[in-house]
Amino acid sequence: MRRRAILALCATAALAGCASSRVALLSGEAGAPAGAVAVLDAAGGAERGQLTQSNTEARLDGGAVRPYPLTANFDALLSAMPPPPQVFTLYFTDGVTLAPESVTTLDQLRRIVTGASDVQITGHTDTVGDAASNDKLSLDRATQVREALVQQGLPVANARVTGRGEREPRVLTPDDTSQPLNRRVEVIVR
Amino acid sequence: MRGTLVAGLLMAACLSTACVAAAAEIGRIKSVAGAAAVVRGKTVIPAAAGQLLQVSDVLRTGRDGRIGVTFVDNSRFAVGPSSTIALSAFEFDDTTHAGRSLTTVNRGSLAVISGQIAHENKDAMRVRTPTSLLAARGTRFVVRVGP
Repeated sequence: MRRRAILALCATAALAGCASSRVALLSGEAGAPAGAVAVLDAAGGAERGQLTQSNTEARLDGGAVRPYPLTANFDALLSAMPPPPQVFTLYFTDGVTLAPESVTTLDQLRRIVTGASDVQITGHTDTVGDAASNDKLSLDRATQVREALVQQGLPVANARVTGRGEREPRVLTPDDTSQPLNRRVEVIVR
Repeated sequence: MRGTLVAGLLMAACLSTACVAAAAEIGRIKSVAGAAAVVRGKTVIPAAAGQLLQVSDVLRTGRDGRIGVTFVDNSRFAVGPSSTIALSAFEFDDTTHAGRSLTTVNRGSLAVISGQIAHENKDAMRVRTPTSLLAARGTRFVVRVGP
């Protein structure tokens, strides 16, 4: 009786994709952990279950989540996936003065960035000073790097610039700690 | 005085996610194969590499079509053939990484690699299908919605 009710529900919803909607969790890209995908109730957002094992799949039929091993092959679909963004990191001795070893990174960028590149320039600071002034310092660094790259002849005048302040240190430190590895600008080429 | 206030308001707006929405670009098309289009309101634009995408754009592919997309939070999509996929919501503050996104898969197939929105906001990167709502928890996954 219950099964018949579910079948009827799927029949009426078949046009809306009930018949064969599925979600598959793949392994993480390039060895990254698989993570998870949660299946929530379409109306309320309550969690119905989740996929946590890579290469498993579940039907999305409105019922409980029952993972099974993945048999489909997504190579054709994944061939359309853009490659991951490339990140180039430039370091600073203090303020906005570029560290000498970052000059080779600048050369790499010169080779790779074209007018068609989608470039974002994100500044970071160490934990010296308060959060608000570090927001400004990180944005200043990012802006200065963009100007420097433009002067070097790179077509990045319209690149997005962002300051992340001290939110994303490369090396975790206590507050008010000078750390050259955290004083950096990332040039992200998508 | 009034000039200062207006400038202050503009600055406040730009510090919030509203600025990203106003700037309009949420991502770009990186690759196209076969028949593929971006539907923006009532306008159908043939999909092309380099094209900027906005909230509410619908990605549509024919039987031989595929589209690759990168978003400003570093998330990425691969859209498969015979698909209709709406970029229903996208908010992202690139200073704090606060944000949320909602993508609606009406039919077809979509492969997703999550980005900074999913990384820094629990269950904020969502994909809607006709029967379910999915939340990315830092991951690479595929959604298929049958005909």
